[in-house]
Amino acid sequence: MNSAQSQSLNVLLQEIEGIQLTHQNQRRLRADISADALPALLALLRGRAGYVHLSAISCVDWIEDDQFELVYHLWSYETSILISAHIRVARDPGIYLSVFDIYTPAAFFERDIHEMFGLYFEGSPDMSKFILTEWDGPPPMRKDFDSEQWVMDNFTWQDYHPDWLKQIEQQGGGVVKSADSSRKSS
Amino acid sequence: MKSTDLDRIEVNPKTMPKRTNPLANVFDDLVRFCRSRSMFMLHYCTGCGAIELPPAMTSRFDMERLGIQPMVTPRQADILLITGYVSIKTLKRVILTYEQMGSPKYVIGICSCTVNGGMYWQSYATAKKLDEYMPVDLYIAGCMPRPEAVIEGLQQLMDKIKNDQANSWKQYYENYDYYLGNQQKLFGNNWQTPTDVIGEAEIYRLMGPQTLGEHTKILQQVQKPMEPLEMKL
Repeated sequence: MNSAQSQSLNVLLQEIEGIQLTHQNQRRLRADISADALPALLALLRGRAGYVHLSAISCVDWIEDDQFELVYHLWSYETSILISAHIRVARDPGIYLSVFDIYTPAAFFERDIHEMFGLYFEGSPDMSKFILTEWDGPPPMRKDFDSEQWVMDNFTWQDYHPDWLKQIEQQGGGVVKSADSSRKSS
Repeated sequence: MKSTDLDRIEVNPKTMPKRTNPLANVFDDLVRFCRSRSMFMLHYCTGCGAIELPPAMTSRFDMERLGIQPMVTPRQADILLITGYVSIKTLKRVILTYEQMGSPKYVIGICSCTVNGGMYWQSYATAKKLDEYMPVDLYIAGCMPRPEAVIEGLQQLMDKIKNDQANSWKQYYENYDYYLGNQQKLFGNNWQTPTDVIGEAEIYRLMGPQTLGEHTKILQQVQKPMEPLEMKL
């Protein structure tokens, strides 16, 4: 990367209203923007800055703020700077715009986020089930879904000291030596 | 599926009585010996435990000296080896595979995950106890068990077969209602497999008092006849 490229990128990004740029290091740029401005930012980056690669969209559930955070990870092979665009979307009703028209691979990421977080993307081509085809509970990556409680309600557990093990122990089998006794230091 | 009438079912005694003809006993022993020395193994590698199988199979520990070889299809396999966590989606496929295998068949669960969920115990997506969904002959616990332990477990299975103790495949027919109930609890009431387990139980004469029950009734209500797959070029 050279600094001229970096500077021109900065100038370009200032065209977006209300953008906050943080240089986390030389090759990482964090952009916090409002949810309304995101499509404009992506179109700008793709059209004029060579950011042809949307690596991923990640989602964070900030349940205390009642918001979802969406992070769009963008990569340019020319500047070699990773831009992560952060936006916040209200958790309820949890609807946001799809960026499928700007980046085609977004369809998969959005479908995945819809499945895991229940966030709906308007305009995304397919919002049907993706990986969890056999799951009809609440979206499992939401913070208000208690995975442990769900497991406790739906599964039973093996007995840790069953009768057959007691029988083996009576015959001198089972765990004869404790783990501590075989350590070198003791 | 044929509708099965509870009255005409012969209840199989739990333990087969020894045959009175001494020659027949010798023959049975011989059959069991041969069976235990030539097993084909289908390894359903669901998790990280699979990494211990290549050394167990190949020259270092050499499973084949025990007469155990990997097999490519469930129809020809004797052992179903499940190595690691079974997610709920995988479990469906595991059950399909298990039901396709010809009897007698033996299931070995390797790693802690098949015993009790292992490190995925609090995950919504993995099944916890494998033996709720199909009868398991042998567990090899560990995270992951070394190839020595795998070989040791396979030797134990051979001993069990020789001593006529590895009969858990009969459990699947005798307690089909229980296993089907657990499967339905996880997959919903529309769950069905292409294999007609109740019909097979009749043929093997393994219909027990637990074979049919409320869960098989649900199955018979929702079951659709299998149709041949559409062929397209």
